[in-house]
Amino acid sequence: MPGFVLRRILKSVLVVLAIVVCNFLLIHAAPGDPATVMAGQSGAADPQYMEQLRRQFGLDQPLTTQLWIYLRGVLQLDLGYSHRQQAGVAGLIADRLPATLLLTGAAFLIAIAGGVTAGALAARRAGSWADSLITVIALAFYATPLFWVGLMLVLLFSVYLEWLPSFGMSDPGLALTGPALWWDVARHLVLPAVTLGLFYLAVYARLTRAAMLEVLDQDFVKTARAKGVPEGRVLRAHVLRNALLPVITFAGIQAGQLVGGSILVETVFAWPGIGRLAFEALLARDYQVLMGVFFVTSVVVVLFNLLTDVLYALIDPRVEVA
Amino acid sequence: MNLTRRNLLAGAGSAPLLLSAQEALSQGAQPKRGGVLNIILNPEPPILQIGVNNQTPTLICGTKITQGLLKFSPSLDPLPELAKSWTVSPDGLEYVFRLQENVKWHDGRPFTAEDVIYSVMTFNREIAPRLRGVLSGIGEAAAPDPHTVRFVLKQAFQPFLLCFDATALPIVAKHIYDGNDIRSNPANARPVGTGPFRFVEWQRGNFVRMERFDDYWKPGQPYLDGILWRVIPDGQSRRLAIQSGQVQMTTATDIEPFDIPALRQAPNLNVTTRGWEYFSPLFWFEVNHRVKPFDDKRVRQAMSMALDRNFIVNRLWFGLGKAATGPVASTTRFYEADAKLPPFDVSKARALLDEVGLRPNAQGIRGSFKYVIPPYGEIWNRMGEYFRQAMRQIGFDVTLESTDAGTWGSRVANWDYEATSNVLYQYGDPSLGVERSYVSSNIQKILFTNTAGYSNPKVDELFAKARVAATEADRRAAFSEVQKILVDDVPLLWVVEVNYPTVTDKRLHNAVQLGTGDHACYDDVFLS
Amino acid sequence: MTGLLRRFTRHPGAVIGAVALLLVLALALLAPLLFPGSPWDMAGAPFSPPGEDGMLLGSDSLGRDVAAGIAYGARVSLMVGAVSTIVSILIGVALGALAGYLGGVVDDAVMRFTEFFQTIPSFVLAILLVAIFTPSITSIVAAIAIVSWPPVARVVRAEFLSLRGREFVQAAEVLGKRPLSIVLTDILPNALSPIIVLASLNTASAILLESSLSFLGLGDPNLMSWGFLIGSGRSVIRIAWWMSVFPGIAIFITVLALNLIGEGLSDAMNPRLRKRGAP
Repeated sequence: MPGFVLRRILKSVLVVLAIVVCNFLLIHAAPGDPATVMAGQSGAADPQYMEQLRRQFGLDQPLTTQLWIYLRGVLQLDLGYSHRQQAGVAGLIADRLPATLLLTGAAFLIAIAGGVTAGALAARRAGSWADSLITVIALAFYATPLFWVGLMLVLLFSVYLEWLPSFGMSDPGLALTGPALWWDVARHLVLPAVTLGLFYLAVYARLTRAAMLEVLDQDFVKTARAKGVPEGRVLRAHVLRNALLPVITFAGIQAGQLVGGSILVETVFAWPGIGRLAFEALLARDYQVLMGVFFVTSVVVVLFNLLTDVLYALIDPRVEVA
Repeated sequence: MNLTRRNLLAGAGSAPLLLSAQEALSQGAQPKRGGVLNIILNPEPPILQIGVNNQTPTLICGTKITQGLLKFSPSLDPLPELAKSWTVSPDGLEYVFRLQENVKWHDGRPFTAEDVIYSVMTFNREIAPRLRGVLSGIGEAAAPDPHTVRFVLKQAFQPFLLCFDATALPIVAKHIYDGNDIRSNPANARPVGTGPFRFVEWQRGNFVRMERFDDYWKPGQPYLDGILWRVIPDGQSRRLAIQSGQVQMTTATDIEPFDIPALRQAPNLNVTTRGWEYFSPLFWFEVNHRVKPFDDKRVRQAMSMALDRNFIVNRLWFGLGKAATGPVASTTRFYEADAKLPPFDVSKARALLDEVGLRPNAQGIRGSFKYVIPPYGEIWNRMGEYFRQAMRQIGFDVTLESTDAGTWGSRVANWDYEATSNVLYQYGDPSLGVERSYVSSNIQKILFTNTAGYSNPKVDELFAKARVAATEADRRAAFSEVQKILVDDVPLLWVVEVNYPTVTDKRLHNAVQLGTGDHACYDDVFLS
Repeated sequence: MTGLLRRFTRHPGAVIGAVALLLVLALALLAPLLFPGSPWDMAGAPFSPPGEDGMLLGSDSLGRDVAAGIAYGARVSLMVGAVSTIVSILIGVALGALAGYLGGVVDDAVMRFTEFFQTIPSFVLAILLVAIFTPSITSIVAAIAIVSWPPVARVVRAEFLSLRGREFVQAAEVLGKRPLSIVLTDILPNALSPIIVLASLNTASAILLESSLSFLGLGDPNLMSWGFLIGSGRSVIRIAWWMSVFPGIAIFITVLALNLIGEGLSDAMNPRLRKRGAP
């Protein structure tokens, strides 16, 4: 087991490094640099100003030098400095990461809990109207654009019913602290987390249902039933446990996709997370921040994949960790 | 509000020339201490130190911290700010400013003439690209005493005073910047100014918090306890925030034009489009004169005639603007009302193109070109879509290209475009904000220069003459003539004088009084 | 084949999906007949509610007909979905076949490559690619294809791994058939059914992806796509709900139809696969 984990970690580090290099090249292949963006936004420029900015941003160096400097920094866990925002990239990301982790974590819980329950229910009553209903609803969520669901929820719960706030993570005007602040954040969290969660809930519901049906068909289940094990126990102990494997595999892959989805959700709900940070950095050509976000998300995804592998091994002892 | 007070105010109506009736009433209302003003900050600026960054949100937010020597009325008359009075010598070469006394920086140090000289001669000359030319025309800068500053110009430059607004020449603390690299100074992250509010906290992506500066140089002011700038990237959320009272003010492009009519009806809100006279943003479509057939002025005239400016103002800008009549906005000094573009006339435009020899083919197409959409929001996309349909009417097939800020900026700066659009501020005087787009000496590979590549020796000569002419009459004559030439040459297709809306809660008073509107320092703003 | 069709039609959802997709297809093909002129024409008063001013589904902020936009948008959305899926399938099949058939070092290399793409959040990568190569129909299709091939490669590899050990493949090898010919004529046809199912699902997600890109302002400004309609309607959703509701429904119907067809197909072609699920 330790050897396996070590090998996996080594591989992951290589993948992350490859991603860093690729992103660097991709981002620098784009026309325009942070200096032109800043000039464009301030309404005036002259050659001296442009040169000042480029020198300050280190853009006057050859590309390979810039890449080397960046890589050396990353290896020392130094993500660089955003000259545009006059702040360290690590700090900028650290400021935003908790918000995104909270959002995606909540969405993930909603999706897994809701999806597995709905899928298990549907599989247990396969063919019944409840199954059809769950399947249809899951399909419907799966087929609806994420941002669209967000807009509709805002219309319903913020505009018409006025139950929940429609944007932001808390109300800074109230200057809350302690439990009151947490309650405020929780209220702000509901709509974005549900929006992000619903789509994946649909995915997990479908996956769980399919996986359970497959397992239900297998001999060991038939044997257990034949031996008179109560149906509920069969489902919990034998079926669900095995059906969770594909769900977990998918969840590992999906960890990265949640970050992508959070760009949309963070835009709709003005959630101050790294999805929006990345999108704004992209539009403003804030290279260092963009590459930093990519680095961090890649690391998170790789960690998730590792975790999935370990979980996989724990749930299903038959899987060889080789 | 009782009748007597209203009558009283009506009698005093001539005095506050710059105030509308609405604000005169609020002036009458006793200013009240206390309360925190919530304003939308959009898009979130990278830093808040004016000068180091000059995006509109930086300017609107930063002017509460950093001040200038002067401020300007809607008719662009100078008013005292950090300078309490000033004199200009008859030959227009010597400017002497008397500074306010008892002014303190937010770190407690006293503000003196040395700060002004450092800001003008070093700080802004180093980092303000637009005014570098003007500032290098200062031959001598001296501080005869700690509260007097004297500038001597090498050559008369009549709009000199207009440069002293906080948005153009911010006054920064010498003890903080002198001897350090300006752009990487840590103070840029926590600006220190003389303004009524001091910087407290910035949670990126969320809010900027400012608090009342208790040692502010106007006794008893500011009235507000603080300002909370809230970052809300989504347009509809912004609208909701102002409608529901979560914020009390929105500025510039915070609210999409199509939302304005509904907000005008809202009982709790005021909507004004005043307060942009100093900037007078002018929107135009720009064609690259190096690309055929745009080098032919008849083609440009035809394109200009194909644009229905009233339709654009009413339908695309929802009335938030005025049809442009030429290169100088009607709110800028030396606007020449007699220089007018030919009116909207599609058949005349087609005839003109026939005359040039651009005949339509079987599909009715005379030619095709690409239009680069600037990446600054919905209205820019809608303008591009309108432009494509309008050009289609006279036989040009236009392909739109979407860009992000980096791509747009570098393509326009490198003259790598066929057509695009742009908005430029005029800064009150054609020598400051208009000349730069037309004179051939400013054809540079840099944004906001004469990127179109227009060149007319007569125009160069007239702008040069107006720049140094000592009397207003001489300048007026030169500017009138140049405007007449320009509306005939149509180097750019001027479309709209943009009026950005400022939406305020009715409880908020004095938000827009100056020609710089919401770029004022807000020491007299209060909530009732 | 008739057996396949019979099994497919036994699935009511699949039939509904097929009918819906055919209707959307018809709408796309008949758009120029139903709505002569350009969908960009500023034909009427702005913000006309549905049914007024001769516009069935209302008009947008410039007085353009939303119904015309949806009809022309169907062409774009279906085209983006189809082309990007074909490209992603081609990439995925080529790489998956290579890895699955050759195995060993090649397999390892291809799988690392695939893993690399799966580690980068796909939507983020798509945004990056489109933004860098400036939004146009080509860059959008390319970006969608680039981010959606990895699952195809994985499935194809798995099929090839299991098929290449079978007797008929070994027989072909013994007979001296060339590897390319074995891959194309012996293995691929047997691996086709999961590919077809994946194709229908990928088309659905490509349409969603395009709409998300347009929503963020990264659509092709010359093409009236559904994503563009929602993107331009979203900011006015409180005064003109119809601008984003109807294109949203169009996306919903099409994506749902493709998913239903995918399920029906997988059921009909390979009952085993359905249970495994291919989201």
